[in-house]
Amino acid sequence: MRHPSVIARRVAAASVSLVVAAGAAACGPKDNDASSAGADSKPQKGGTLTVLNANPQEDFDPARLYTSGGGNVPSLVFRTLTTRNRENGAAGAQVVPDLATDTGRPSKNATVWTYTLKKGLKYEDGTPITSADIKYGIERSFAAELSGGAPYLRDWLIGGADYQGPYKDKKGLDSIETPDDLTIVFHLNKPEGEFPYLATQTQFTPVPKAKDTGTKYEEHPVSSGPYKVVKNENDGERLVLERNTHWSASTDAERKAYPDKIDVRSGLDSSVINQRLSASQGADAAAVTTDTNLGPAELAKVSGDKALAARVGTGHFGYTNYLAFNPKVKPFDNPKVRQAISYAVDRTSVINAAGGSSLAEPATTYLPDQKSFGYTPYDHFPAGKSGNPAKAKELLKEAGYKNGLSITLTHSNSKDFETSPEIATALQDALKKAGITVKLQGLEDNDYSDKIHSAKTEPGLFLAHWGADWPSGGPFLAPIFDGRQIVKDGANFNTGFLDDKSVNAEIDAINKLTDLDQAAQRWGALDKKIGEQALTVPLFHPVYKRLYGKDVKNIVISDWTGVLDISQVAVK
Amino acid sequence: MSEALVASQAPGTDSSVPGASGARQFWRRLRAQRAALVAAGVVALLVLIALAAPLLTAIEGQDPTTYHPSLVDSARGGVPVGPLGGIGGDHWLGVEPQTGRDLFARLVYGARVSLGVALAATLVQVLIGIVVGVAAGLGNRWVDQLLSRATDVIVAMPLMIMSLALLAIVPSSFPRPVLVALIIGLVAWGSIAKIVRAHTLTLKELDYVAAARLSGWGAWRVARRELLPALAAPVITYAALLVPTNITVEAALSFLGVGVKPPTPSWGQMLTAADIWYQAAPQYLLLPAGALFVTVLALTVLGDGVRTALDPRAASRLRIGTGRRREAKA
Repeated sequence: MRHPSVIARRVAAASVSLVVAAGAAACGPKDNDASSAGADSKPQKGGTLTVLNANPQEDFDPARLYTSGGGNVPSLVFRTLTTRNRENGAAGAQVVPDLATDTGRPSKNATVWTYTLKKGLKYEDGTPITSADIKYGIERSFAAELSGGAPYLRDWLIGGADYQGPYKDKKGLDSIETPDDLTIVFHLNKPEGEFPYLATQTQFTPVPKAKDTGTKYEEHPVSSGPYKVVKNENDGERLVLERNTHWSASTDAERKAYPDKIDVRSGLDSSVINQRLSASQGADAAAVTTDTNLGPAELAKVSGDKALAARVGTGHFGYTNYLAFNPKVKPFDNPKVRQAISYAVDRTSVINAAGGSSLAEPATTYLPDQKSFGYTPYDHFPAGKSGNPAKAKELLKEAGYKNGLSITLTHSNSKDFETSPEIATALQDALKKAGITVKLQGLEDNDYSDKIHSAKTEPGLFLAHWGADWPSGGPFLAPIFDGRQIVKDGANFNTGFLDDKSVNAEIDAINKLTDLDQAAQRWGALDKKIGEQALTVPLFHPVYKRLYGKDVKNIVISDWTGVLDISQVAVK
Repeated sequence: MSEALVASQAPGTDSSVPGASGARQFWRRLRAQRAALVAAGVVALLVLIALAAPLLTAIEGQDPTTYHPSLVDSARGGVPVGPLGGIGGDHWLGVEPQTGRDLFARLVYGARVSLGVALAATLVQVLIGIVVGVAAGLGNRWVDQLLSRATDVIVAMPLMIMSLALLAIVPSSFPRPVLVALIIGLVAWGSIAKIVRAHTLTLKELDYVAAARLSGWGAWRVARRELLPALAAPVITYAALLVPTNITVEAALSFLGVGVKPPTPSWGQMLTAADIWYQAAPQYLLLPAGALFVTVLALTVLGDGVRTALDPRAASRLRIGTGRRREAKA
């Protein structure tokens, strides 16, 4: 993560929606399951599951996908060393073995990770999957023409920073060893206790060297999962997946693979998707979406209809929307000003602007409020439900702004209910009560993204969000608060320019831990400590609500993806 | 329309009603058109509402920017609480979904932006159009060629795309409504310049203008003293029809998110925010859409009335101010 590109991060943000896309309608709480997921019958094999999506699966090469936990539709075709646990809620945020027999055996200092493959694993053509294929799959993700994945492999593997991929460098990466067909060993340049989480990403998919067609591989990637690609039209706009007869459920505890066929139709307008899912007629009765949430207005309509409301899946993805300060810009160099703004925010109106209490939950911590992140509750500058303007005024007075303060808030003009004008305007109204006049600076989305991620152009106060590459505090806190990740030229994510020796040392210490529960606790404590500096004002965590067709059963929504897991869905 | 305009004669040259001044004749002809009168009344009312926006909202006891979180159902996406979008004594037209802001206040303040921007843009268009048109009409071959080709380029440029591009590059510190008015004005003056040039060319050949020129008057003096009074009719006519076009352009730009900035309300911006709510809270969409519809319709009908009143041939069909009625009586 030392030199993550803006592009990569933007893809990260996109992957959030992809992952979300990779999931579909779901019912988060288990009690919801009983009523919605076919109370009268057990899920059966057979039938065709239709997937109605907005965004085509343009990237279908495991090297190029940027996913959290292997994606949703991609996870039907690509198996990885480890994967996410396909369970509802918090249990689904755990990492479990997939192709490997366990989640990895670390060396004492967590710099060497060893995996053993299960026996009897086969590709769609019946040939065996070997550890060399996994090594090759990872190596090709280093090729410039297949870029797009997360930056971790390049940053963590010894020699990764300079490696050009197997097409240019036939010798391959020495830091990945395959002593035999079932064993693979990774040598890292620093301790990384969270390596098992990384091994869920699609770069850890086996790719048979003989079948590699470079940039054309995505048209027909060789399946290691329960389904194979039989049709891929218009660059992923229409995908048809059918059973891979060489996949064996006995080697795969995670994917249920009930339907015989998966028909992915994308390029649809989001309102059309929700309209078709609510009508649920014909093939749409057995349909889900892996990328389209219900918006506030659609929710208003759905919630008035009991039958329809029962077909809404609710999930929580590790994600935080917040106000970010640049302490290099006056008056935000003054902690009292930052605290005053923290006190003044009205989370109720911000949440309403984001779609209401069903689509967003108040956030007072930077880390998402989930166990796997090590969520440790804190509220250092309690604003209550609707702000504490009196306390804010008091702090401003102490900071020397007796007669109020005038500031600029930068936001994006995209209509996303996250960093959009609606949220900014709600904050403007709340801060007015504390005597703070807010000028809004709305930027075109790409411009906004470039500006906030450049140390030179970063505005003083702006709307921001961060999503998890995997459900842990590491990828949430390190890029934002590790002082060694401040990038002077290029994409910078440490927007508060925090370079605190004790914080940096704690990040290193936690990365050494291989006990993920223990690491989570330490991340939570670190978040609480960083929060005292008021470099951000956490605003809300989004909630995903998605419709699914009336014949769809066995809805599983994990806290890892926050959306319905397509590998669990049945239509019979 | 432009055919009629080109064919129309300026009131100053209309000698069919000796003694009646151009203005009085114009009012008589306008008054005779009932639709135009109603439209004029509606336009006057809208202007009055826009001017009195602070007063009206003070009477209602609301303002356009204050949030009322208690008036929306947060769990249901922020749909207004109560029937018909929360219409009642406190909020005459209900409240906005998600924010609870007063819709009446936003609508009347929005009228200020819509009308103000459209009128200012029209003024800019008319000023540039007259200067370029007269200069091209009176100037030598080279000046005419240069200005006419420049006008052609302006006419050929797609208004929306140009506006989008210009709005994106101007720093956001520039006052937005002024900027929008300026940009619409600067991008869309081509057709009025063409009309003015065509009229100038016709007028130039008339005896009284030729006489003025021959007696040694400079171009500036000829333009000011002889041409401008005669150009008033076609320019007013065309300007009256430009206003509604400009209103829709402003609405479209705000709809696309590059017009006036929040929290300043404008009808176009209300439309864009409301488009997802057409099923759950229809009044939210219908109010700005209705306001826009009524305003554009009224202005168009009024503009048409003005054209009829200034066009002697059309006026003769009305049999007003042409002297025919008097002749008939006699």
